[in-house]
Amino acid sequence: MNEPVVLVVGAGLAGFSAAAEIAGAGLRVLVVEQAAAPGGAIHRQPLPGIAYPVASAVHRRRWTQVTASVRAQGDRIEIRYGCRFAGLDHEGTALLTGARNALVRPRALVIATGAAERVRPRPGWTLPNVMTAGALQIRTKTLGKAPDGRILLGGSGPLLLAAGAELVKGGNPPVAIIEAGRPFRHVIGSLGLPLPYLREAAGYMATLLRARVPVLTGTEIVRIEKRSGALTLHVESSSGGRTFDGDLIGLHDGIRASDHYAAASSIPVMRAGDCREALGARAALADGRAAGAALVAELTGTVPASAKDSSRIERERRAQRRLARIFGHDGSARLAALPADTVICRCENRTVGDLRALGPVPTDRDLRLHGRFAMGACQGRFCTEWVRALTDPSHAGSPLGAVRLPAHPIAIADLLDAGGIADNPSTGE
Amino acid sequence: MSLPMDYDVVIAGAGVIGASTAFHLARRGMRVAVIDATGPAAAASGASDGAVSVASKKPGVMARLATASLLYTRSLAQTGGPLHGIYSARPGYFFATDPAEELALDSLISKLSGLGGPVTVTADGNGNIGLAGLGPTVRRLVTLTGEGHMLGFEAVRAYLSAANIETIWPDRLMRWEADDAGITVETSKGHLRAGKMVAALGVSSAALFPDLPVLPRAGQLIVTDRAPGQPLPGALTAASYLIAKTAERRALPNPPVVIDPLVTGQFLIGSSREDHGDPSRVDFPTMRKLVARAVEVWPALGARQIIRTFAGIRAAVIDGMPIVGAVPQTPRLILATGFEGDGICLSAVMGREIAAMVAGEPVTDGLAADISALTPRRFEIGEARSA
Repeated sequence: MNEPVVLVVGAGLAGFSAAAEIAGAGLRVLVVEQAAAPGGAIHRQPLPGIAYPVASAVHRRRWTQVTASVRAQGDRIEIRYGCRFAGLDHEGTALLTGARNALVRPRALVIATGAAERVRPRPGWTLPNVMTAGALQIRTKTLGKAPDGRILLGGSGPLLLAAGAELVKGGNPPVAIIEAGRPFRHVIGSLGLPLPYLREAAGYMATLLRARVPVLTGTEIVRIEKRSGALTLHVESSSGGRTFDGDLIGLHDGIRASDHYAAASSIPVMRAGDCREALGARAALADGRAAGAALVAELTGTVPASAKDSSRIERERRAQRRLARIFGHDGSARLAALPADTVICRCENRTVGDLRALGPVPTDRDLRLHGRFAMGACQGRFCTEWVRALTDPSHAGSPLGAVRLPAHPIAIADLLDAGGIADNPSTGE
Repeated sequence: MSLPMDYDVVIAGAGVIGASTAFHLARRGMRVAVIDATGPAAAASGASDGAVSVASKKPGVMARLATASLLYTRSLAQTGGPLHGIYSARPGYFFATDPAEELALDSLISKLSGLGGPVTVTADGNGNIGLAGLGPTVRRLVTLTGEGHMLGFEAVRAYLSAANIETIWPDRLMRWEADDAGITVETSKGHLRAGKMVAALGVSSAALFPDLPVLPRAGQLIVTDRAPGQPLPGALTAASYLIAKTAERRALPNPPVVIDPLVTGQFLIGSSREDHGDPSRVDFPTMRKLVARAVEVWPALGARQIIRTFAGIRAAVIDGMPIVGAVPQTPRLILATGFEGDGICLSAVMGREIAAMVAGEPVTDGLAADISALTPRRFEIGEARSA
C-alpha cells in the first residue's frame, strides 16, 4: 500500500474523531502525536504501566468511545507516537521528525493540535518551578500522580478548578487556588450553563471542598519571588495583600485557539478542535467529526452520513461564552502597570522596559528586529498577545507572531536525515 | 495656482536607499519627509544579511560603485558619523568545492586586484589556510579583508534618526502630479506638496511603473538557534554565488549558499533565487538543499536547530543593474530601485549621489559614468502612472 495518506496531527479528541471519520470513508490515515501517549491535554493517558486515578467517569466514557471508533477502523489508521509535525510547506510537503524522520506528501492534512494556554506576564513568572496549570495537569495525568511539594494554582479560568481537583485525586491537594475573577457571584449566569458543565464544576468543587483546598476569588497574583529555595506568591484582593509559600506554581489565564502550523498549500488543510476555536472537549469531539466529514466530501465528492453537527458546536460556543463571562475580569490595568524588568518574551528574555523603549507605536518590524520580540524559538506564539496589548491593540491581523516554517525548532540533522519525499511514510514509497 | 510647500523632498520608501537619501538631503538643510506603506526596513532591507561587500558584486559598474560606497561607508562609521557603531569591519570567506567554483575564485581575485583596493586577499589556498573548522570537501578558500557588515534595519534607523527627518507610516503612495513649481503627492493619508519626490520603493516600484523591468526575486533564508561560541568571524560564501551574480540563469554547479554568523550567535543561511514575490513561499526541499551544503562546508552547523525560515524579496532588474535617475517625462521624480540585495552596500554612495541629483548638482567626480549607467533612460518606461 503506497497510496498517499491523510495526515492527522494530534491524537486528542478532535484528531481521533477526525481520523475515524476519514478512515470510515475508506481512506488511509496517519495520526502523528508528539507525546508518548494519546489524549491531548484533557484526556492525556498515562504512560504504559501506570495506573490512572485522576480521570473523571465522564472523561473516561468519552475517551473510551472515541478510541473504540478509531480501533474499529483497523489498519486504515496508523498512529505514530513521539512523532512531531514540523509544518506543511506551500508545495504540500510535510516534515515529520522523531524516531523516523521523513518528508511526506500527504493527500490532505488535518491539524488538531489543541489550544494554547495563556499565561499573563507577571514579575517572576519565568522562575524555575513556575509552569502553566495545564502542564501540571498533563504531568499529573501522564505519571498517574501529582508532583510532590507545595503546589499553588493561580490566574483565572475554570481549568484552575479542574487542575486542582486532579491534583487532589493525584494525591497532593494544592495549597490554594487563586482566582482573579469572581465566578461564584454569577449564580444566575451559572444556571444558564448546560447541565453537564454544572455537573462537572460541582464535581470539581466537591473534590476541592473535601480536601479543604482554599479557593480565593477576586484575588490577583501580583508577583512571584524566590526565597531560600522556595517560591513566594504575592496576591492582592479588595481586602488587602497576603502571601503564600510553595514549591511549584501553576499559572493559567485561559486558553485560546492556536493556528500555527501550515502554510497555504496545494493540498486540502482542515483545522479541528481547540486549535481552530477553543471550545473545550465536548465541542472538540464534534468538531473533529465535522472536519473529517468535510474533508471526505472534498476528497471523494460524497458527503458522509454523519452530517456536520453545527448545532452541537454552536451550543458549546454559547456555553463557553457564558463561562468566559462568569470568570471574566479585566487584567489590562495590571498588565499596563507591570514593572519595567518584567519579562514578556522568555525566548529572548525581553522585558516590558525593552518594549517601552521602542516608542508608543512601533511597527512589527521594529518589534521584531529592534525589540527582538517574536524572534525566539517559539516565534512569538506566547508573547504576541501581550506585546500587542501593551503597544497598539488596534493592530489586528498583524504578522507579528505569525509562525513561519518550521512549526517548531527542528534539528538540522533531522532535516538532512529525512531523505527524499515519500507519499506514504510507512512504506517509504 | 501655487500651493504651499510642505517639504522640499518627499521620499517614498523607508528602505536603506530611501533612508540614506533622506539623511543626505537633510544634511544639505532640506526639509524631508519619508513615507512608507508599512514602516522602516519593511521589505528587502529588513530581510538582508547586511554584507557590505565588493567581492560579491558583478564586475564593472557595480564593483566600482561598491568600492566607492565601502570607502564612504567607512567614513560615515567614524565617531560622530551616522553609521558609527552600525557598520563594522569583518573578514569575508569565499570557498570552492569544484573546478567551476575554483575558476570563479580566480575571477574574484583578478576583479579585486583590478579595483586596486581597499579589499585585499589575505589568504588563498586549500581549506585550512585562514580558517579552522571547514569541511573536507572545500578545495580552496579565499580570505578577504577590507569589507564589512551592517544590518539593513539598523542602518535605516541610524540614517533616519541622525537628521531632522519627518517619517510617516503606514502611508502608501497612491499617485502624483508634477507641475512647474513642484509635485503634489497623493498618499493613503492625504496630500503632500514638495519640490521633488524620490521613489525608492524596491519591488513595489513595479506597481507604480508597470513597464519598469523590475522583477521580484525571492530568496529563502534560514535562521538557526544560538551556537555556544562563535568561531566563524565573517560570512562564508560559496563561489557559486559569484557565478550566479555574473551569469544570470546559468545552471549552478552547487547551491550558492552563504553562511552568515549573526551577532546573537545564531547563523543565517541563505539563499535561493526564485522568480516570484511571495514571502510566504518556503519549502522543505529547498531548505534541505541549502543546509546540506552549509553543513558540508561548515560541519559545526550539523549540531544546530532551525528556528525559522523566511523569504526575502529582492527587486531585480532585467539587466542586473539598479535603476537610478530622474524619470524622463517627470524630472521632479527620481527613481532608485532594483538593487537586488546590493542596496545595503551601495546605500551610502547612492544616498549621497541622489541627494546631489535632487539639488541639481553634478555627481561626485569619478562616479559620473557609472551613475549614468544606471539611468532609467536605458528602458522605455512610459508615462509614470498612478498605483
